[in-house]
Amino acid sequence: MVVKVYSTPTCVYCKTLKEYLRKNKIDFADIDVSKDEKELDAMIRKSGQMGVPVVEIGDDLVVGFDKEKINNLLNIKE
Amino acid sequence: MVYDLIIIGAGPAGTAAAVYASRQRLNFLVLSKDVGGQLAKKAVDIENYPGFNKISGPDLVKVFDEQLKHNGVNIELDEVGKIENENGVFKLKTTLDKTYESKSVIIATGSDPRMLEVPGEKEFLGKGVSYCSLCDGPIFRDKIVAVVGGGNSGFETAIFLSNYVKKIFILEFGKEVKADRENQETVSRLKNIEIIKNAKILKIEGENLVNSLTYQDTAENKEKKLDISGVFIEVGYSPATSFVKGLVEFTERDEIKVSVEDFQTKTPGLFAAGDCNQGRYKQIITSAGEGAKASLAAYEFLRRAK
Repeated sequence: MVVKVYSTPTCVYCKTLKEYLRKNKIDFADIDVSKDEKELDAMIRKSGQMGVPVVEIGDDLVVGFDKEKINNLLNIKE
Repeated sequence: MVYDLIIIGAGPAGTAAAVYASRQRLNFLVLSKDVGGQLAKKAVDIENYPGFNKISGPDLVKVFDEQLKHNGVNIELDEVGKIENENGVFKLKTTLDKTYESKSVIIATGSDPRMLEVPGEKEFLGKGVSYCSLCDGPIFRDKIVAVVGGGNSGFETAIFLSNYVKKIFILEFGKEVKADRENQETVSRLKNIEIIKNAKILKIEGENLVNSLTYQDTAENKEKKLDISGVFIEVGYSPATSFVKGLVEFTERDEIKVSVEDFQTKTPGLFAAGDCNQGRYKQIITSAGEGAKASLAAYEFLRRAK
């Protein structure tokens, strides 16, 4: 499953989220939407969100660090 | 397992409490919905924390986080929904539906941003409305935005945003802004910030995303509309304390009442440090200091209970 994290470098919640994914050995594409306008447009189009973090997991989108949803979609067991 | 101590929150108070607890070799856990608390959202550099001439909020969070790791502190990213006390043991139920048990608890949950409570605010949260300029500001590049609140947080948010956006309106409810002189001077030097006083926000509107904000100009008694893409709300904070009802007493501002000697609440073994208690002068340094004291007090409480 392809996992994409849309974030900005100044967002600490995004960092916590990415660390959590790394800890659980999930590979993901790290996208800095403050630099990449095309990806920012894609994020807004797909999620309807003007806020980060947004995580794309396959066809699903998770807004914010919603650990429960992320755990379910990625089958992470704590 | 029943822990000796559970610390709720991982901002300055929770971090300091955890470092002290680890040095006392307590069997403890930190439960927090995030790491860094309000520091993670601090839009301008911190220049009043000992040891640093100048450090950004996220960088200080990083140093705190490294120190927690260095001390082998166990952090669970989860939010406490309710605390109960059964025969001297605290039971903490989390939003991920787990239950943790502990002999003592330090509440270091700080405060959450206060909401404006106007139509459109909830509806457009994440769709132009933001409480974290540091997170979301950079994606409003070249847009026109509003910052609601003319205190230090509002001014600091506008200063941070001025690096990215085309134009910022700071909207202040009162006749005068409340930000300190240094922030006012910085803002006056920035060409893309305009201050509007006597502005009572009426509504935030848009289609899929925010496109306007309407306010009442209370001096001219006229309704006015701004075409903007983002609204950053900085109207203060309220203590994050609702989950602890029943075990503590509150001030009229929902702050937890504690004793000044040991930061203990009316329930033995339950402590509150930092912005969530009734202390005045909510500062990073004072929160850290209170976290340290609460941790030492919890240690003493546990030793006496043996």
